Amino acid sequence: MIEPLTDVVPSFFAMLNQGPLTLTIALHTVIILPMFWIYRSEKKRLESQE
Amino acid sequence: MLTSIKENHLTNKGQELGMMYFRVAIILFGAQLVMGLIAAIQFLAPGFLFELFDFSVARMVHINALVVWMLYAMIGATYMMLTDETGHEGVAIGLGKLGFWLLTAAVTVVVLVYIIVQVGPGTEASLWLIHEGREYIEAPRWADIGIVVVVLIFYFNVFATYMKGEKTGIMTVMVANLLALAGLYMAGMFYTDNISMDQFWWWWVIHLWVEATWEVFVGTLAAYALIKIIGAKREIVEMWLWIEVLMLFGSGILGMGHHYFWIGTPEYWWEIGALFSALEPVPLIAMFVHVLYDWGKEQGIAEGRGETASVITNGPAMAWIVTNAFGNFLGAGIWGFFHTLPQVNIYTHGTQFTAAHGHLSFFGAYATILIGMMYYGLQRAYGVQRMKLTFKSKMGIFLTTFGVMGMTIALTIAGYEQVIVERGEMGATWNAFFVAQNLPWYVQAQMWRAIMGVVTLLGFIYLAWDLLTIGKVSKEAEA
Amino acid sequence: MANKNLSVWTSIPFWRRSAAWVTGFASILLIWLTFDTLGQITMGTDDDLKNGVTKRVPAATVINYKIGYEMSTKRGHEVPTIGEKEPFFGKEWSADDAADLLHLGKLTSQTKNCMNCHTLLGNGAYYAPDLTKAWIDPAWSKTGPMMAMTGKSTKEEAIAEFLQHPSTYPTHARMMPELGITADEAKGLVAFLKHMSSIDTNGFPRNFGKEEGSTNAH
Ligand code: HEC
Ligand code: HEM
Ligand code: HEM
Ligand SMILES: [Fe+2]
Repeated sequence: MIEPLTDVVPSFFAMLNQGPLTLTIALHTVIILPMFWIYRSEKKRLESQE
Repeated sequence: MLTSIKENHLTNKGQELGMMYFRVAIILFGAQLVMGLIAAIQFLAPGFLFELFDFSVARMVHINALVVWMLYAMIGATYMMLTDETGHEGVAIGLGKLGFWLLTAAVTVVVLVYIIVQVGPGTEASLWLIHEGREYIEAPRWADIGIVVVVLIFYFNVFATYMKGEKTGIMTVMVANLLALAGLYMAGMFYTDNISMDQFWWWWVIHLWVEATWEVFVGTLAAYALIKIIGAKREIVEMWLWIEVLMLFGSGILGMGHHYFWIGTPEYWWEIGALFSALEPVPLIAMFVHVLYDWGKEQGIAEGRGETASVITNGPAMAWIVTNAFGNFLGAGIWGFFHTLPQVNIYTHGTQFTAAHGHLSFFGAYATILIGMMYYGLQRAYGVQRMKLTFKSKMGIFLTTFGVMGMTIALTIAGYEQVIVERGEMGATWNAFFVAQNLPWYVQAQMWRAIMGVVTLLGFIYLAWDLLTIGKVSKEAEA
Repeated sequence: MANKNLSVWTSIPFWRRSAAWVTGFASILLIWLTFDTLGQITMGTDDDLKNGVTKRVPAATVINYKIGYEMSTKRGHEVPTIGEKEPFFGKEWSADDAADLLHLGKLTSQTKNCMNCHTLLGNGAYYAPDLTKAWIDPAWSKTGPMMAMTGKSTKEEAIAEFLQHPSTYPTHARMMPELGITADEAKGLVAFLKHMSSIDTNGFPRNFGKEEGSTNAH
């Protein structure tokens, strides 16, 4: 599963870059996850306004 | 357009200033096309103006005029909507006018130097006085500094007016986005011996302009224009705008990775660039749907009320905005996606394919809506209730769009040839380059590009003529 | 308007906050990535070259070495190789002299506007060949036509001669024009081209110079 690192410098991002999509999935996940929290807090706000 | 300010229908000085910017923009657009044609002819007849006015000079003026006219039209459009949105007469419009004249004088000098001096010796002084030799942002350093000053004046005007007036969602996005847009310019102002570093920062300007801040700017223009032209509801338009900001910045900022595949930067950019930029077309689809949906909805509501007239109060502006919705999606979204994955880009990088995308995207995403805003400005300047498409408006929009589309298709065909033969089969050497350049289909494609370029220029002549006359004509028709 | 609408999906504040978060966070990631990348693309030092430390962008003294472009099985694409020493314009260049020469070359590449005809690292104009690996283009090699044409016995002299009088040595109808390049500037430009060919471009251009002969494609 874990692939050997191929880039010149083994930086943090190069390490996350593990074959198909790992790096970009990781980044997308950290961007999207907090939106669930934003969604819930907004829902609460709307309900309390009711 | 010439008498637009004398007509005295403009309710405030900001809009006058807007019209002044529009006029220069349209002149520069014309200059851009002439330069493009010279460069296109040199592809076919390399002896044309050889060692007098070389390809590099024509191309430099072509793409510089492009960037500058678009910035002019963007500033113009911002001044146009400033008072409407904030409900406040601009704060320092007099200073803004001074800025306009300074900028216009600087642009004139810069262009004359490009055309007359052309190249300088390999010294720092050449960078300061002649040009910096970096695509799109060649302006010499003295002009860079001038541009920064004028943009500061402009930004001060917008920001101070925003702070004093009403803070609509549209203006909030506008003010934040303009700050980023102006700030990014500075990433392109320094010199380095390291060509990888050079290109790294160069893309900060180019990519973060056209695929992030300029796109958001278009979003704000479209939002404003839809309210004004078809009476779209502000709440709906502003909600769309925030969604667009989210998606455009969410994909576009890291989408910059698609320029970091091969310039010396690390391999991790392959993945980041591929996936984030692959999402860039999504907001463009959303913007397309948004414009057409709102139009249909407003018309439906009006018909429900038993009205028979169109909800569109400015035919030419709306025609250009719909062309924008389509062209943005096609030129940036589809043509961009074509070559954005590294597996494809390793072959297409820096070929006619890139040029195909560059033309349709700049035209589709920016030229269109900015021209639309010019028509809207004219409507206001002449106090016209309903501006209708004239024959010239129709010819203008049809011929320019058809011409650019034709050039794009021709360049795409040339690009395929080049990619397969020069890059795929022959390994990208000097010899490989010329074998591909001389293939019959490639040469034919370049021929069609030149022909379609002439069509575009014809369309531009109709367009400019229409902009000069439509204000008076529409007013007289209404009187 | 009384806010009867309970759906978060049509709430402007929700989208505004989400937009702010996504934009802010993407920008932070970009800045972080930028720092990481800047570290990797900063020019190496002369010592790196002497000690065989691989840098994406080597020091200017790379002009003292033979440069190749070979398939790396580990990387899965071609990478530049830095071989044994070779004289450059008949001598070995000190770190300072090499840096000065590269400075002159890069500066000249901008003031003469190479990028509005050629591509460098694949960026620029598409009127003339990509210059990323021009230094190792077969046409400039001992077996290629250009040394004989310019009457020079080394690659660097041949390129420098061509750059000073390009339209005197045309190989195609589409010629490069005279740009008023001086002998010194030409030397600098050759150093710039040689340095560029040593940059690790992750395998671009692919198969450079591997195919010989022509093609029948139309
Ligand atoms: C007006 C356009 C133009 C400009 C500006 C220009 N070139 Fe060229 N260059 C060409 C053309 C066209 C050729 C191909 C000439 C031929 O095949 O006869 C060429 C060929 C070359 C070659 C040989 C091709 C190869 O792959 O090795 C080199 C090297 C070169 N140019 C370097 C430069 C440098 C360095 C600059 C900037 C100082 C520059 N050129 C500016 C048009 C230009
Ligand atoms: C309106 C928006 C856009 C404009 C105006 C635009 C314009 C351009 C231009 C002018 C270039 C060439 C730059 C050069 O001279 O080197 C370019 C390159 C590129 N664009 Fe866009 N673009 C836009 C949107 C997009 C989108 C949405 C994508 C991807 C989905 C994309 C993908 C690319 C890629 C991959 C390249 C590099 C081409 C190469 O390697 O040569 N672009 N763009
Ligand atoms: C009369 C019509 C036009 C002609 C004949 C023309 C021709 C050209 C030529 C020959 C080039 C140089 C390409 C190369 O380096 O190989 C070029 C570049 C470019 N033109 Fe045009 N052009 C025209 C109109 C336009 C329009 C309307 C736009 C956009 C609104 C535009 C945007 C660009 C851009 C962005 C580039 C740089 C492309 C890149 O580097 O990928 N042009 N044009
Ligand atoms: Fe991009």
